[in-house]
Amino acid sequence: MIAVIDPVQVQAAAPPVTKPNPIEALKQTVSASRLNCWLACRLKFFFRYVKKVSKSPTPALHVGTVVHAILQAWNMARWKKQPFRVEQFKGLFDKGWTEQAEQIDWEDGESAHKDTAWSLLETYFAKTPIPANEVPEAVEVPLEADLSRYGLPTLIGVLDLVRAGGRIVDFKTAGKTPNADDAIRQHEVQLSSYSVLYRESTGKAETGRELHHLVKTKTPKLVITQSGPMNEIQRVRLMKMIESYAEGLAREDFVPSSGFQCAGCEFAQECRRWC
Amino acid sequence: MTTLECNYSKKLGLPGFSSHQFSITLRTEIADVSQVQPESARLYKLLQEGVDTSITETGYLPTASGNGNGNGHGRNGVSTANHDRTHDNGNWGCSEKQKSLIQKIVAENSLNKSEVEALAQERFGAGVKNLNKLQASGLIEELLEKTGQSKAKGRSRFQSRFQQKAGAR
Repeated sequence: MIAVIDPVQVQAAAPPVTKPNPIEALKQTVSASRLNCWLACRLKFFFRYVKKVSKSPTPALHVGTVVHAILQAWNMARWKKQPFRVEQFKGLFDKGWTEQAEQIDWEDGESAHKDTAWSLLETYFAKTPIPANEVPEAVEVPLEADLSRYGLPTLIGVLDLVRAGGRIVDFKTAGKTPNADDAIRQHEVQLSSYSVLYRESTGKAETGRELHHLVKTKTPKLVITQSGPMNEIQRVRLMKMIESYAEGLAREDFVPSSGFQCAGCEFAQECRRWC
Repeated sequence: MTTLECNYSKKLGLPGFSSHQFSITLRTEIADVSQVQPESARLYKLLQEGVDTSITETGYLPTASGNGNGNGHGRNGVSTANHDRTHDNGNWGCSEKQKSLIQKIVAENSLNKSEVEALAQERFGAGVKNLNKLQASGLIEELLEKTGQSKAKGRSRFQSRFQQKAGAR
């Protein structure tokens, strides 16, 4: 309940400067990455999405971004039935690499990271299970699912690739070889979100989900983890997580979740000052 | 004159992982600040009664027995059916927002409608009006790229598109 100041008094004062409240905006939509951040640590979420404390991209993030961009170009080329020319993608890679690269603290040298990134792509092109003539259903497509009828925010997300027949693919770069069960569990929020988005957008269920891990081992490798369509339990879990997000945001509940994930958190300094 | 603005809101959990909420906002003027407490107490009671009376009507509820025939609403949350397609959207298969955006891009860039139609056919095997939301989103990306309206593809464009209405991703 708000008692508004007498309008006569307001007229005498300067007009109030109203800043948009980021929390109000965050309540309207949710994405898998935001939800994951929220579930991992609400204080980290606060610094990243409410206070918008900016941090320089890390080398690993840059590698992931550039690799994603090239895989997107590769998928688009297949969609447009363009011939595969590795030198074309190498050119795109070199160009993409330089964007933002100067803001990054490379620690052990930029060229090693760049070589690794290109090796990952070469490995992917050589070992991908996707036939060259397979036409995608969608590439890097932004989608949203209106969940307002359940009292939940709109779910938004970008699907890396939907293979012919409705197989949702997400590309990952990783430092370690993933275990299949762990990978599906770790990425459950993302996979379920994509399933919901796909179903909302097409009116049919996906036929399966695939994680394509490009692993930065000494000899790069490709690990494909397959998962069936989202089941009822996974769907309920996602909805409950989104509900928790919406209610927590409404309460402005930004307490930290201390744990092993704090090692390497980019907001460690800000976190220590929080009370 | 002092203005009192009162809002009473209630959200209730319902079976099948659904919920509904209702709120009433009322704005009134009072002669002086000494009336704030009695008036707010009166309005609180009034609004609460108003909300409580209405919120007992739960309306549609999802079934609690799972997917049923697999083509309807599931138990908790999202339907496997493309329910939005049943909305009156001028026979378009995509959302109203997507329809408006496609029309806007075509109009603002004087695109040839038959070329856009041909692009939809080539890429998705369906005419523009028959595209579902997934396909329409792909077409929008393609049209934006064609008209040079975005430097970046997909992810970053998506971010900017949604950041405008919803803040950061």
